[in-house]
Amino acid sequence: MKNKMIHALAATAVAATMLGAPMASQAASADEAKMIAEGKKIAFSRSKGNCLACHMIKGGSLPGNIGPALIAMKLRYPDKQKLRDKIWGKPELEVKYSMMPPFGRHAILSEDQIDKVVEFIYSL
Amino acid sequence: MKKTLLITALSAGALAVATHAYAGSNVDPEKDRKQFVEFIMAKAPKVPFEDYRLGAYVYNADKKAQYEAVNEFPPYLDAIDAGEELWTKDKAVYEKCFGSDVSKIRPKYPYFDDKRGEVVTLELAINECRKNAGLKPFKWGTGNIARLSAYLAYNARGQKINVKIDSEGAKKAYNAGRDLFTKPHGQLNLSCAKCHAYNAGRRARANILSPALGHVTHFPVWRAKWNHLGTIEKRYVGCMKNMRWDPKTVGGMQSKAFRNLEFFEAYLSNGLEIDGPDYRE
Ligand code: HEC
Ligand code: HEC
Repeated sequence: MKNKMIHALAATAVAATMLGAPMASQAASADEAKMIAEGKKIAFSRSKGNCLACHMIKGGSLPGNIGPALIAMKLRYPDKQKLRDKIWGKPELEVKYSMMPPFGRHAILSEDQIDKVVEFIYSL
Repeated sequence: MKKTLLITALSAGALAVATHAYAGSNVDPEKDRKQFVEFIMAKAPKVPFEDYRLGAYVYNADKKAQYEAVNEFPPYLDAIDAGEELWTKDKAVYEKCFGSDVSKIRPKYPYFDDKRGEVVTLELAINECRKNAGLKPFKWGTGNIARLSAYLAYNARGQKINVKIDSEGAKKAYNAGRDLFTKPHGQLNLSCAKCHAYNAGRRARANILSPALGHVTHFPVWRAKWNHLGTIEKRYVGCMKNMRWDPKTVGGMQSKAFRNLEFFEAYLSNGLEIDGPDYRE
């Protein structure tokens, strides 16, 4: 509960700064676009994320149907950190008997790669 | 009544939180098998029990049609002939170990040998027979071991899998195989059960996942991807590598762990027809 409040406050703070500083946010969005493109590559690569093995993702071909389609992620994860925790494989977010691999906990992807994947997934 | 791990997974479904407390199982094999068959059959109520020897093809009419087309001129016929030649070449040796009726050999395996206190598979028995007669054992997985196994399977087609568990040791072996099957292993945190029980019938990319029910019926298998014949243990190795789980950590092909796994899977398929060798994608 307390954590959520802090996240919410942080989010408002970020939003406020962005509103106040449009220049900075434009620079950020160019960076973001690059992150998203790199994240997409990692997510689609069979030897890295291989998310398509299990998830339908816009722009990917031959998806599996083991996990839910990854769409409207901002709606489902108002808190981006929670999305990262889910992909990273925080034990408390793990669904028992689920195929979803714990990408960070089992070092399947590096922290940096996970950041990029999160940016991509969050853009869906 | 204590629910078994496989079934708990199904009813608890997506809500339960993982604890990773997978205790070593000690279930009643027959009850476990029946629950498993029921669970798999409930996924596709129109598929008759006998059809589960067809593996993933029960879930997709197009792939099944392709499979049937390939089987009009099966790619494994030469391998059966080669297996027969191997048998004939060292006939005296094999007949001493297995008897002379080649239709009666495959259905006896795998079995739990109470005296040895371990599971004996057909391939293990073949190589032990060769070794005891001073012949060089075959390499595991592919080649002559698969050819001879294919010849013996072919001669037993139509008979039913009938693995017996009537001792404490056999029950333990079943449970050990079951643990290997259900516990998550390897970097991807997957288990055999995640693909071949809970998600059977779903697709991993374009691959439809077969249920473990029917896994052992048709081996050795001629896989298009391999372009040759391979034993079930070769297939296990392939799936383990996909899980990023090193098969060597449990001893590799024909280790006790692998044989327990085959014993567990074979018991689940009791009542299905032996149908080997067969073709798979
Ligand atoms: C082997 C199968 C598999 C792979 C590969 C996989 N996932 Fe999943 N994923 C699942 C399953 C099954 C679920 C649903 C159960 C759960 O939450 O664990 C899931 C759930 C999720 C969720 C939560 C969805 C929601 O609605 O809350 C996200 C986000 C996600 N996956 C992202 C990813 C990303 C990103 C990748 C690749 C880097 C990936 N997954 C790779 C199987 C997989
Ligand atoms: C990530 C998913 C996945 C995991 C985990 C997995 N497999 Fe598989 N397995 C497959 C796919 C895909 C195939 C090919 C399609 C099919 O027949 O199911 C396959 C095929 C097989 C086959 C051949 C089936 C046939 O009809 O010829 C056997 C036997 C098998 N797996 C056993 C295992 C065992 C035992 C384990 C655990 C050690 C395991 N698999 C783990 C995905 C998986």
